[in-house]
Amino acid sequence: MSEELFRDFWWLMFPVFGMVMAILGMARGDAYQDAVIRDAREKLERK
Amino acid sequence: MDFEELFRDFWWLLFPIFGMSMGLIGMLQTESRNQQVMRLIKSYLDQGKEPPPELLKLASQPNDYGTNMSGVASPGQRNSSVWNFVVFFALAAGFSVGYWFVRGEAYAFAFLIVAVTMGVLALGALFISLTSRRP
Repeated sequence: MSEELFRDFWWLMFPVFGMVMAILGMARGDAYQDAVIRDAREKLERK
Repeated sequence: MDFEELFRDFWWLLFPIFGMSMGLIGMLQTESRNQQVMRLIKSYLDQGKEPPPELLKLASQPNDYGTNMSGVASPGQRNSSVWNFVVFFALAAGFSVGYWFVRGEAYAFAFLIVAVTMGVLALGALFISLTSRRP
């Protein structure tokens, strides 16, 4: 049953990989922007 | 109805649900971050200080949700549309060839769906790059 499902939907690996990469890319971009905001806030509070 | 049957009937829902989720999350995060950046810049200016260049860069970079209301595309944005056209066209061509090779199989329609979607996105990118005005 599961082998048959895999045979029918193996190609879904590629779009799912794309989705995972999109999520990782968004998370990395968000982390960078959060870091910039956090640094700017710390700099403002330090001065 | 077991899971396999349900999956066979509704696997295609993965794509619109993923797209909607990413769109919604991205929009909410962009909105919240833009407000934080603007508040921070205002705080810097209120104290008579120069905001850090990284913060200004963050505020000036275009986001994915079309806040550029002028209708005038920068050269970078136009290059991006041309690049999008090239990428989507290549994907449409690749999936069309894939569909041609497997057209006798039961799953061939999946290649056709992706090829048509990529083709429509390529046409959209081409339309945007041709109609965006130069500054």
